[in-house]
Amino acid sequence: MVDGHPAPLLRLEGVQKTFGPTRALKDANLTIPTGGVVHVLIGENGSGKSTLLGVLSGQIRHDAGTVSLEGRPVRFGSPVAALRHGVAMVSQEIAVAPDLSVAENVLLGRGQVRRWAGISRSASRSKAQGVLERLDFDVDPDCPVRRLRPDQRQMVEIARALTAEARILILDEPTSSLTDDEVGSLFATVRRLKAQGVAIIFVSHRMQELFEIADDITVLRDGVTVAEGSAASFTPESLVSAMLGEDPPAGREGGSAASAGVGSDDPVALRVSGLVVPGSVEDFRLDLRRGEIVGLAGLVGAGRSEVLESIFGARGHAAGTFEIHGKPYVPHGPRRAIAHGIGFVPADRKADGLVLGMSVGANMTMVDTHDAPRLAPPARGRGAATVARVAASLRLNPQLAETGTARLSGGNQQKVAVAKWLVRRPGVLLLDEPTRGVDVMAKADIHQELRAIAAAGSALLVNSSEIDELLTLCHRVLVMFRGRVVADLAVPDTDDSEILKLAGGQPC
Amino acid sequence: MLNPLIRRAWASTSQFRLVLLLVVAMFAFFALTQPAFSTSTNVQNLVANSSLLWVVAMGMTFVLLSGGFDLSVGATAALTGILMAKSLELGIPGPLVVVLCVAAGALVGGLLNGVAVGKVGLSVFVVTLATMTSLTGVVSLWSGSNSFLVTAPAAKWLATERFLGLPMPIWIMAAVFLVALYVQNRTYFGRDVYAIGGSATAARLSGIHVPRTLIIVYAVAGACAALAGTIGVGRVGAAVPTVDSTLALQAIAAVLLGGTALTGGSGGVGGTALGVLFIAILQNGLSLAGVASDWQNVVTGVILIVAVAGDRIDPRLITRRRSPSSTAVDRATLSASSRGA
Repeated sequence: MVDGHPAPLLRLEGVQKTFGPTRALKDANLTIPTGGVVHVLIGENGSGKSTLLGVLSGQIRHDAGTVSLEGRPVRFGSPVAALRHGVAMVSQEIAVAPDLSVAENVLLGRGQVRRWAGISRSASRSKAQGVLERLDFDVDPDCPVRRLRPDQRQMVEIARALTAEARILILDEPTSSLTDDEVGSLFATVRRLKAQGVAIIFVSHRMQELFEIADDITVLRDGVTVAEGSAASFTPESLVSAMLGEDPPAGREGGSAASAGVGSDDPVALRVSGLVVPGSVEDFRLDLRRGEIVGLAGLVGAGRSEVLESIFGARGHAAGTFEIHGKPYVPHGPRRAIAHGIGFVPADRKADGLVLGMSVGANMTMVDTHDAPRLAPPARGRGAATVARVAASLRLNPQLAETGTARLSGGNQQKVAVAKWLVRRPGVLLLDEPTRGVDVMAKADIHQELRAIAAAGSALLVNSSEIDELLTLCHRVLVMFRGRVVADLAVPDTDDSEILKLAGGQPC
Repeated sequence: MLNPLIRRAWASTSQFRLVLLLVVAMFAFFALTQPAFSTSTNVQNLVANSSLLWVVAMGMTFVLLSGGFDLSVGATAALTGILMAKSLELGIPGPLVVVLCVAAGALVGGLLNGVAVGKVGLSVFVVTLATMTSLTGVVSLWSGSNSFLVTAPAAKWLATERFLGLPMPIWIMAAVFLVALYVQNRTYFGRDVYAIGGSATAARLSGIHVPRTLIIVYAVAGACAALAGTIGVGRVGAAVPTVDSTLALQAIAAVLLGGTALTGGSGGVGGTALGVLFIAILQNGLSLAGVASDWQNVVTGVILIVAVAGDRIDPRLITRRRSPSSTAVDRATLSASSRGA
C-alpha cells in the first residue's frame, strides 16, 4: 500500500489460531480496500477458511496477528461486537426462527423499534419493510418464515444483517442449497448491495459462479494465504493449483495397488438405479462390485450423504431400484439394511455413530447383537474373539473394551464407529466421511483396514470431502454436482484438480 | 490400601455418592437423636411405607434412562385400584386379579404412552400429561367418585402378610429391585435402553428396534404403577377414587436423586433405591422429631438441586484427585460405573 492512501476498509495480517495440536491458521492475510466490492475467499476443506470467518465474525478469538478496520486494530469478543463494528455473517446453515414473521426475523436481536416500554409493531414493521425494499425482496413482512423457500429464508438472513448497518457482509457458501434460478436472484442481490457500498466476502467452491461474481480473490491453503489478487488475474486452472499447492500429494500408491484386484467381471454387490431424493439427488446410478471401493466427491449440498442414507434406509423411502448381490432390495430402515448385509458409518460419530456414554465394548458389539434375544443374558465372551480380532486389526487397544467411549480420542472413537460394522463382516459398507477430524495415524489404520476388508470381498462406498482421501482409498470416484453424478473417474487416471473442477461445476 | 473389591464398589457409587452419604448420615443422625428411630419396627415401617414409591420409581428409572419420563403413573395406580376392587367384587380369584391389574397397567403404559412416544414420536411431556389427565377422568367416572372397601385376602396378603419376619411389601420391593437390576445390567434389553437414552439415532442406525423398546419401557412403567396400585389398596383396605398427583413427580425426584440423568443414558436402579430411601428416612425421621411434614418437601427439593448440580462438579474433582496415580485399570473401573449399579 502506498503512503498517503486511505487505510483499507478491512485488513487481516498474519492471523494465527491454534486449536489443541492443530494449527488452523498460520499466516492468514486478507485485504478489502474499500466498500462496494465482492471478495471471494476460497480454500479446500481444512484450509482454515471456517476459522478465518470465525475470527472475522467474532466467534473465534485469534492468537496472533492483527485485524484492522479502516486502519484501527479491532478484536471482536463476540458476534455482537462484530456486528457493532458493522461486520455481519450469514452462515451456511440458515438460522431463522421459523414461526416468527419475516419482519420479526429481520429485526431479531437488535432491530425492534422500542417505544415507551414495549416494541412498536407498526414502526418495527415499516423498518423491516425498508430493508426488504433495499434488497428488492418482494415478500409479505407478516408471512411466517416457515412458509418461505430456502433462498427466501437466506434473503431474510441477509436482511437481518443489513438492519445492523453492516458494512461488511460475509456469505458462507450461500449457494450450496440453492437452485440455479435462486442463485441468479442471490447474485442480483449481491450486486445491488455492492452498488450500495457494502463489501461482501463470498465463500464458494463453484468455479463458474465465483468468476461471475468476484472482484478480488483470496486463496487459503493449510492456514496460509497463498494467493490474492483481482479475479481477472486468475484462471480456473491457476486457482485450482493455488488451492492444491504445486506438488501433488503422496500416498496414491495404495489406491492403485488395491485397484489391481477388481475387474469388470467381479459380481455386483450393490446395484442402484434411478435413485431420486427430492431436492437433493437426481437419477443416481451405481454398480458397486465385490472388492471394490468407490468414492463420492462433491461440494457441500451435492447430495452425497443423501445417497448413502437412502441406500441404508435411514431417510424415509427413496425412489429408485436397488439390488444386493442380484436380489431386489427395498430400503426400509436400518434393520432391513443390516439384514441385507449393509453397514453404514455416519458422518457424525459423536451424535450418530456411537453412544458416547457406553463402553467401547458395548458400542463395538451393538450391531452384532442387535438381533439377539433381548431378554437373554449376553453370554460373556460372545463374539469376544471377533471383537478382539477387529480391534487388533484397527490397532485399537483391546484393553479399552471397558472404557467409556467418551474418553477416547477422536481417532480411536472413529475406529470404534467403523469397527462395530466389521464384527459382522458386511457385504456392502457405506462410509460417510470415514476419517473426518482424526489424526494421521488413525487415518492410516482405518484406510488399511478398509482396503483389507475390500480385498476380502466387501464392497465399499465412501463419501469424503477430502479429495486426497478418495484418491488414496478408492478404485474409482463418482463426482457429484447439485444432485447429479457428473463424472465417473478411474483413480489412477485422474487427479485432484480434475475432481475439484468437476465438483465445482466446471466441465473438463 | 483398600481392598480392590471395596474400591471397585466405591467407584461404582460415583453417580449417587451424595445421596449415599446423606442416607447414611441421616440414618446415623436420627438413630442418635430419636430413640424410637432405629427400632426394628420403625425401620420396617419406614421401608414398607415407601413401597409404593419404590415400585413406581423402579419402573420410572427405565423411562428416564431411555431419555423420557412418565407423568401418568399416579393415575395408572389409581385406575388399577378401582379395577382391583371391581374384579374382586365379581368374584375373580385374588392372585388372578393382581396379575390382571399388572397386565392392565402394562397395556395402558405401552399402548398409550409407549406408542405415542416411541412410534408416533410425540413429545413425552404432552403424551404422559394427556394420559394422566384422561385416566384421572376415567377413575372418577368409573368409580362414581365412591371408595370401595376391599377385604379380600389377596389384598391383605399383599400389604400386611409377614414372611420370615418381614412384611410382604418389603419382599415385593426386593423382588422388583432384583428383577430391575438384572434386566438393567444383564440383558440386551437393558443395554438398548441405555443406548436409546444416550443417542436414539446411533441406536437406530445400529439396528436396535427403538419404537419397540420404548413401548416396552413405558409398559414396564405402567406395570410397576399398577403393582404399586394393588399394594396401595391392600395397605389402605380400600380403593379410593382420587389420583395421587404427586406420585409421579416424587418418583422422578427419587430417580434423579439417585443419579440418573434426565437426558437419559446414564444412571440406574441402584441409585434409585437410595433416592427412595432418602425420601423415606427424611419423612420418618422428621415426623418422629415432631417437625412439620412440609419441611420434608423443602429439604427434598434443596437436596435435589444440590444432587443434580453436584453431578456437574463432582466427577472432575474426584478424577483430578486420583489421576496422578491412576492406572488404566482404575480408569476402566471408574468408567464401568457409567452403566450404574
